Amino acid sequence: MELKKLTRNALLTAIALTIFMIEAQIPPLVPIAGVKLGLANIVTVFALFAYGWRDALMILLVRVFLGSIFSGQVMTLLYSLSGGLLCFAVTLLLRRVLTENQIWVASVIGAVFHNIGQIMAAVLVTATPGIIAYLPVLLVSGIITGLFTGFCTQFLYGKLKHLGQFK
Amino acid sequence: MKSTKFWIIIISIVLIVSMIAALAVYFLHGTGNIACIYQDGALIRRIPLDTVTAPYSFDVTWENGEKNTITVEKGRICVSSAECPDQICVHTGWISDGITPIVCLPNHLSIRIESDAHQPDGLVQ
Repeated sequence: MELKKLTRNALLTAIALTIFMIEAQIPPLVPIAGVKLGLANIVTVFALFAYGWRDALMILLVRVFLGSIFSGQVMTLLYSLSGGLLCFAVTLLLRRVLTENQIWVASVIGAVFHNIGQIMAAVLVTATPGIIAYLPVLLVSGIITGLFTGFCTQFLYGKLKHLGQFK
Repeated sequence: MKSTKFWIIIISIVLIVSMIAALAVYFLHGTGNIACIYQDGALIRRIPLDTVTAPYSFDVTWENGEKNTITVEKGRICVSSAECPDQICVHTGWISDGITPIVCLPNHLSIRIESDAHQPDGLVQ
């Protein structure tokens, strides 16, 4: 059972990392730091709802760590971590109040807090409070991309549950 | 357990408020004409943009050796080229009186337009 769990988490981490690396190759559509799809969050939110917070946190941390090494930017680690952990904490709280059919809500609100976390890190690193001016734009993009990844997670969860992949 | 309708309303409210705020930031103009260039939070150069007669460029180098080339014209400033990976500072383009700063996160560089505290602002002059 333990081996099965290890294999499953390794597989999910590999999927998340692959999605993360491919997404990093897509050129930014708008010249604003932080506007991105955040597809890798599909795996995190899915793991959180399907397998619990311990597994999801492990997958998230390994993905963020390896992702910043592979993308060759140490700064990525700081921004991914600050956004990722705040997003994770909020998603975890939401899990208590959301039903199985409302997983997409966790993804949207998680995306919003991911952006808030990144802006906070950017303000602290550059000591420029003016960066907060970007927050409204990031929130709009976060809600739209969060809806997209949220529905992906919702469908993934529904399909795999139907196949009896988890209880 | 809240109904799905509850969450849709919450998300819609946040979306609408952010959209209004985003538009406000886009259309608002600050009062200032002095470009302040900060590296890692420390002011390294102040350029009164109104006094610039001929356009010129200069480089700012970060600890890792990566350079940002800043170009100044009368009344406006931009990062014209950069050795950072994401090029977001270059894509931001010219700023003149907006309240959004130019930021290069990899090289810890930010450029803000500020007003001189010792002089009345442009409106008064």
